[in-house]
Amino acid sequence: MKPVNLLGICCNWSPYACYNAAGMARLKMPPNFRLVRVMCIGRINQALILRAFEYGADGVILLECKDEDCRYGPGPEVGHVNVQRVRKLLRLLGIGQQRLIERHFASHEKEELVRALWKFDELITALGPNPAKPRQEQEVS
Amino acid sequence: MSEYEQKIDKIIRDQSLYQCLECGKCSASCPRQLAGKEYSPRLLAHKIIAEREDEAFIENSIWECLTCGQCGERCPSGVDFSHLILEMRTLLAGTKGLKGYRSHDGALHSWMRLMTSPNLQQERLGWIDTRVRVAAYGKLAFFTGCAPYFDVFFSGIRVDTLSIVRDSVRLLNFMGIVPALLANERCCGHDLLWTGDRENFETLCRLNYHEFKAAGVEEVVVSCPECFYMLSEYMPQVVPEFDIKVTLLIELLEREMKKGGMAFRPLKRKVTFQDPCRLGRICGRYDTPRSLLSLIPEMGFREMENSGRSAVCCGNSGFINCDAYSKRIQVQRLHEAKATAADLLVTACPKCMIHLTCTMRDPIKHGSLAMEIRDLASVLADQIEWAAK
Ligand code: SF4
Ligand code: SF4
Repeated sequence: MKPVNLLGICCNWSPYACYNAAGMARLKMPPNFRLVRVMCIGRINQALILRAFEYGADGVILLECKDEDCRYGPGPEVGHVNVQRVRKLLRLLGIGQQRLIERHFASHEKEELVRALWKFDELITALGPNPAKPRQEQEVS
Repeated sequence: MSEYEQKIDKIIRDQSLYQCLECGKCSASCPRQLAGKEYSPRLLAHKIIAEREDEAFIENSIWECLTCGQCGERCPSGVDFSHLILEMRTLLAGTKGLKGYRSHDGALHSWMRLMTSPNLQQERLGWIDTRVRVAAYGKLAFFTGCAPYFDVFFSGIRVDTLSIVRDSVRLLNFMGIVPALLANERCCGHDLLWTGDRENFETLCRLNYHEFKAAGVEEVVVSCPECFYMLSEYMPQVVPEFDIKVTLLIELLEREMKKGGMAFRPLKRKVTFQDPCRLGRICGRYDTPRSLLSLIPEMGFREMENSGRSAVCCGNSGFINCDAYSKRIQVQRLHEAKATAADLLVTACPKCMIHLTCTMRDPIKHGSLAMEIRDLASVLADQIEWAAK
């Protein structure tokens, strides 16, 4: 079976520090996981999350700082609102709201981050591929 | 002449651009130009005819237009600018890719394209409750469009476009019709078509036709003017075997009212009407909304300064180009609505409702533009009753 496409959208600060530290410590991560680093989760809007699904992601995880740790202020809260709305849209579309999740980390929590990624992999693998791959994408794959 | 040039030639011949007199009436009436945007339909006409080498100018202008059709009303040569723009966008998108500044980063176009997937099992009917009677299949369907999606996406400005759908179904129920609502109906594709994405638009048309047939539908009733225009005019072009009757809800209601038996309860409100461009200028339905409203007793109706054929656009179309100039158009439009002393602004398109509500909620305006806005279907559904014998 073809592995599912996992996308992580990762804040540059605490979660990326975890991701980096996990890499340095050679902790094993899901091989089908790809990461996009952004300066802050507050930078991500509903469109960018939807676009990930449009371009073939089977699951998207937002890796955020804890609310009180945001370097800019409201980043994670913006993330919560967007996730909440996009989850509703995914549900309407029949893609399923479980395919979008958010997790937050403090900068030392590399094991937690890796564990969260494996759980995410497990969840999306159980759900299988995203049913809404737009036509062109389907023809390519 | 290259193939590309020949295509442009065909487009401008079809939309009678060669008849252009360069009179400038289009530019003088274009809301985008009047709002101060550096954009001139007259100059664009000139460049497409005579200075085609100025590709950058032509390209930029093609994506600027609101396709509101205001200019077409004034043009002495009958140039149909909005369709010219539509054809040019389709052509340019094919050769140079989709452009145009997408509002909300293209989120709406994204879900519309996601709907082109053939195997979707949508959950778009979760809003149905005891206020409406509906069926899963049948000869007559009601087309709900993107309303469930809009309400989630625009929850920040608290718009309720699902109320339009609910009230439309209530009107049908009142007329003794229990419409089928299709769980896997797709977006009508209006916004994809008008922003140049013809391929995905056509896919949506075919999927919708398939859904209609699978549910045994012979007639579709539509409330949204954009859906109406797409289903009645464009779907038959895409699906040659198209054999479904497309009915505009307010026209159905008007016909039924004429038979007698139904009337409206009085409504002591002062009302004005925003003509949606797809309903008015593109589909030519100016009278139906007004004649229905005129049947409501005790209601005061006043037209805005610009109404009917010269009604001003709600500022945006196809969810591209929302910018400071769109905002200015919307602010002015709301000032016009307020100047009528109306306390209820009625429109007939969910997009008008979204765009004007957005402007009303602008925090910088401190609520000075706020007024109640409702869809025609909602107003009518609340007032309809059996006529006293
Ligand atoms: S109004 Fe018509 S004839 Fe006049 S400049 Fe515009 S397109 Fe040409
Ligand atoms: S269709 Fe509307 S926005 Fe476009 S050129 Fe004409 S008046 Fe201007």
